[in-house]
Amino acid sequence: MTAEKRGRILIIDDEDVVLDSCQAVLGDGGYELATARDGTAGLELARQFGPDLILVDLKMPGISGFEVLDAIHAGDPTIVAIVITGYSTVSSAVEAMQKGAFDFLPKPFTPDELRLIVARGLERRRLVLEAIALRREREMLRENFAAIVSHELKSPLGAVQQNLYGLAAELADRLSEEQRNRFERLKTRIDDLLKLIQTWLRAVSVPVAKIRESFAPVAPGEVVARAIETVQPQAVRKDITIGSSLGEPLPPVRGDAGSLTEALVNLIGNAVKYTRAGGRIAVEARAEGGEVRIAVADNGVGIAPEDLPHVFGDFFRGRTAPAAETGSGLGLALTRRIVEAHEGTISVESEVGKGTTFTIRLPVPVEAQEPLPR
Amino acid sequence: MKERKQLLMIDDDPDFVEGIKSILTAAKYDVDVAYNPKDGLAALAKKRYDLLLLDIMMGRGAEGVMIARKMGRDPKLREIPVLIITGIREQIAFLFGSKTLHPHFVETDEMLEKPVEPKLLLERVERLLKAGEKGSRSQ
Repeated sequence: MTAEKRGRILIIDDEDVVLDSCQAVLGDGGYELATARDGTAGLELARQFGPDLILVDLKMPGISGFEVLDAIHAGDPTIVAIVITGYSTVSSAVEAMQKGAFDFLPKPFTPDELRLIVARGLERRRLVLEAIALRREREMLRENFAAIVSHELKSPLGAVQQNLYGLAAELADRLSEEQRNRFERLKTRIDDLLKLIQTWLRAVSVPVAKIRESFAPVAPGEVVARAIETVQPQAVRKDITIGSSLGEPLPPVRGDAGSLTEALVNLIGNAVKYTRAGGRIAVEARAEGGEVRIAVADNGVGIAPEDLPHVFGDFFRGRTAPAAETGSGLGLALTRRIVEAHEGTISVESEVGKGTTFTIRLPVPVEAQEPLPR
Repeated sequence: MKERKQLLMIDDDPDFVEGIKSILTAAKYDVDVAYNPKDGLAALAKKRYDLLLLDIMMGRGAEGVMIARKMGRDPKLREIPVLIITGIREQIAFLFGSKTLHPHFVETDEMLEKPVEPKLLLERVERLLKAGEKGSRSQ
């Protein structure tokens, strides 16, 4: 809506008397008006005119008001639509509102009724646009936040760490064994802190739209193999076996290989954390009804039933977590965001003392569902 | 006796610079420092360096990128290998659009993330110095 105009209104009705009276009533309100006598002309005009609000008759020859409503909202869902109906068709007015109309105006209506409903509709449009602008601003802030915090928090830590490196090297031949150990511990502590900041930043700033830009066909088997390879060293240290089983054929999914691997690394890494030494983790990937299902099952400590609904939330750490295991509490939240960016779903089943299974389901693009004929 | 290699480091964090410089000095490199892009470019114009260690995020933004671009346009400075040491490895792609930055000048050059372990730092510095020597001999 421009400042000088109070709003652009498009009126679509097959009755001249309605068009004329609307123009007469609204003409002095400082609005910019356009009229059309049927749905097809109305839609054409809507494209050029760019209305803030449309008044549309439900019963017209040619395409109906419902179809106009659908087409308008398909183009721009923020356009406020008010349907004009006869008294006998209140039920269709209700139906129109269920389809996204803002309000309805029963015929005949008084000039004041029309003025009021239009003013309210335009106010609604203004609020919706404002909300969208605010949301966009928040998204930008969120993404830039990562870069800002990264510099402000990581720089001093990096400088400290760099000097520890330098000092340890310079003093190497003068330090006692115990002093050298202290240096090492300091370095480890700062390293952990740097990693923690990185994880938090990733979780708040994963720009979902950015991930989508780089989508390409990804072989699930490769993602599984790479994720297992990444976690393997941790597993070996705890004497945990990671087995994998891949279904044949395994169609490619559309996605970002790096992010998907990260999601799976989080799940398998978690399984390693919450499984006792000597335990087993099974990673399984199967094609199943237009989806690829990847499951990570462990025979670890399990998750308490009351904790289950919260595991994918930010900063959550389960009460069954072994005290020695540290985590940011963001791994699963991040995993969920990555999976959702891929139009997939993630679910969890668990029994305390028995183990936990996380399952990721990713849609397979239609063209990849049937293996090519040989 | 072999001549000492001349290194220039451009980074606006004096503490970080100290940490890097001490490692390089101990390894018998001569290290000059500039704490902002302007002084850095002035130093590059005045003296011949064998290697530049460059920070990316300085001043009001990614001013290190500007330096690297300026060097790429200068026929003399282009010969100097550049080792980027930055704290923002993964944000770089996002700050500069969808293109990752480093392929731009990565042919002879390297990128390290802050902080850098001494062994890794010395290894990369040595490798780049060797690559720089080869490059100038073939000219």
